[in-house]
Amino acid sequence: MIGSVAPPSPQTYDRGLADLIAGDTAVSHIDGVAGRLLFRGYPVEDLVAASSFESTSYLILRGELPDAKQARSWDIELRRWRLPPQAAFDALSRVPRNAHPLAQYRTMLTVAACHIPDPERTDLDAQWRRPARILSWTAALAAAAIRHLGGHEPVAPRDDLGFAGNFLFQALGTSPSDDEVRVFDASLIAQAEHGLHAAALAALVVASTGADLGSAVLAGLGALSGARHGGANQLSFEMLDPLEGPSQARTWARRRLAAGHRFPGFGHRVYHCPDPRVRALEPFAERFLTNRGLGHRWRTYLALRDEIEAALGPKGVFANIDSMTGLLYHPLGLPPSAMPIPFCLAIQTGWMAHCLEYLPDGTMIEPGCVYVGP
Amino acid sequence: MTAFETLSPAFHWHTDQPLEWPVSTDVGRGLSGVIAATTRVMWLDPASGSLGYRGRPVEDLASRWSFEEVAYLLITGLAPDADRTTFQAFQHGLRAGRDLPRDVVFLIEELDPRTHPTRLLRAGISALGCHELSEDDDISGSRHWRDLRIVGQVAGLVAAIARHRAGRPVTATASSDTSLAHDVLEAIGGTPPSAADVRLLDLLWVFYAAHGLDAPTFTSMIVASCLADPYYAMVAGLSALRGPRQGGATEAVWEQLERLAEPDRAEALVDEIISAGGAVAGFGHRAYRMADPRAVVLRRELASIARRRGRPDVFARARSLETAATTALAGRGAHVNINFYAAPIFALLGADAALDPCLVAVARAAGMVALVREAMDVTRLVRPLSRYVGPEERRVPHSGSTT
Repeated sequence: MIGSVAPPSPQTYDRGLADLIAGDTAVSHIDGVAGRLLFRGYPVEDLVAASSFESTSYLILRGELPDAKQARSWDIELRRWRLPPQAAFDALSRVPRNAHPLAQYRTMLTVAACHIPDPERTDLDAQWRRPARILSWTAALAAAAIRHLGGHEPVAPRDDLGFAGNFLFQALGTSPSDDEVRVFDASLIAQAEHGLHAAALAALVVASTGADLGSAVLAGLGALSGARHGGANQLSFEMLDPLEGPSQARTWARRRLAAGHRFPGFGHRVYHCPDPRVRALEPFAERFLTNRGLGHRWRTYLALRDEIEAALGPKGVFANIDSMTGLLYHPLGLPPSAMPIPFCLAIQTGWMAHCLEYLPDGTMIEPGCVYVGP
Repeated sequence: MTAFETLSPAFHWHTDQPLEWPVSTDVGRGLSGVIAATTRVMWLDPASGSLGYRGRPVEDLASRWSFEEVAYLLITGLAPDADRTTFQAFQHGLRAGRDLPRDVVFLIEELDPRTHPTRLLRAGISALGCHELSEDDDISGSRHWRDLRIVGQVAGLVAAIARHRAGRPVTATASSDTSLAHDVLEAIGGTPPSAADVRLLDLLWVFYAAHGLDAPTFTSMIVASCLADPYYAMVAGLSALRGPRQGGATEAVWEQLERLAEPDRAEALVDEIISAGGAVAGFGHRAYRMADPRAVVLRRELASIARRRGRPDVFARARSLETAATTALAGRGAHVNINFYAAPIFALLGADAALDPCLVAVARAAGMVALVREAMDVTRLVRPLSRYVGPEERRVPHSGSTT
């Protein structure tokens, strides 16, 4: 990662480190002009169509898709950590019910971090043992946080369900159908990695200080909780929800466009073309919503998207993944304030891969600031 | 566009002209040389090693003002003696921040006191954030970057954690008449501290308050740039502060001093560390090509507290280790840094080494608030790019375990 080869020097970049090439990575390739996204060489749409979150997370972390034996042992490892420490669940009783769900979830994670095995070991071996625990603990805790929103107690995990299915079961308390599991799994795969975005960079900076991988993930989640980042799928859903049909969506969008408003879920720093994750998820979304009798809502979304892209596409503004995931999560039963959570669960895979890639090099990341004061 | 040779020794990270974005700079390992922000808060002169807040050298600030006054200067940009009423309102808010909600105290109490204190602090800050901001608040919480309760809250939590570790009741009411430093020392020692000790902790806190975009501050800035709530930015920053290369560095210094039984073994110990391929803790810093001037001040302070405590051996060991390590390392450009003398001072103030990063966190909270708040006005989402060096595009196999 950063500094893993002789750095390109000098470089020209803008505020927010825009256009700065911070380093090399073998984890993913994002082509923001052609609209291509590869995880370790595999196009995201192929993985969404043919893989599972378990296999994809193995791929992102380890560099290759697992063979049958590797897949089994990775699956066992993930299942081994489905029961986080009780204290992390108990922490929910110490925070107000009306706190933001991501802040409640954060508190569970900080308490869980007080109970991790070998907390002060940060050698590579110890770090490599952490991703499975982090993925499974966070899923269980996030599910409990979502249940808590509705005033319900946590439910125990189910051995017959995989990562996606078990999360839905633990979050909603009901057995998910096969097509629910499939569409949710597809959304996790599509969101499992996305280069050096703000959250990944925050995680990488923390890992570069020698901290444990869990601390790095916590910092990434902080970035993701922000309105400019992971919170966007909730905002995008809340924008779409009151629209009653395609024609109203078009009128509304035109009015907002004329007033120069921005639209959550549209536009991306890296993509100046349609987001490949949107394309990858689209067939699943359309089928799922149509089967649910929500074809009308899907057409409303498409109308809104058409209208916005027709106006702003020439400026490089297109729908990004956040415009679509809320649309899928709502019929699954996830409340809007819980919509950022699946993104958190998926994308931390990529952060951990970047951290593990960076650690053997490991220079501490500290940019400079120019003094312009007295 | 402005071009800077930021990695050249002649570049002073200081400009009299407004910075024109985009910029062109050198880009080194770990993003060294990259300009991630402009600031009016602090300046570290790489040529002299001197550190100034709002244009005033830290040594001057430390000799004249308390940490609370310097926090005010850092955050507001105003001199604390210019308008006493405004300062007193700030100070009142800062001190009131120490009163923690009962549930936050319970949360700390329910955790094992042997947990690393920085983990307890992070959990406490996270829970506090839940009490401070509800779901209906503006989640970017810019109000909270303004009203600055966070610095006082960190101090209140650190005091609670210190009591928890000492096995004393966690709850205590802080009087608004006592300073943050006074209360934290009382929490550590269990008795009211001397004026000299309070002054010394204030001095350490002034020195530790801000140090550019170090990893904790940069982490907070990235998180805040996403418009996350300030408590999340603080939790993220604290996650970077506890790493062994950051706030955890003083723990290593203290362990190293404990290994040195006799001052005249110093050269042998340094040889041992270096030949084992290790680094001498408390030596070397990317930003310094000379001894950190703050360390020089702290050396005198260590001599003085060691005398007060009847522990001249601590100073003697530190001094001889510094001399031996300087002889061995100066040629390689590694010089004594602030942690080298802060560690034994923290120890003589009664803190066990594991608590050191929490003590640093109180100070650093002021700098983080100042730098992040400033950046919030102008920054955009921090989002660099990376260059792909992985496998060529390939197809997912259609059979086997991957489906």
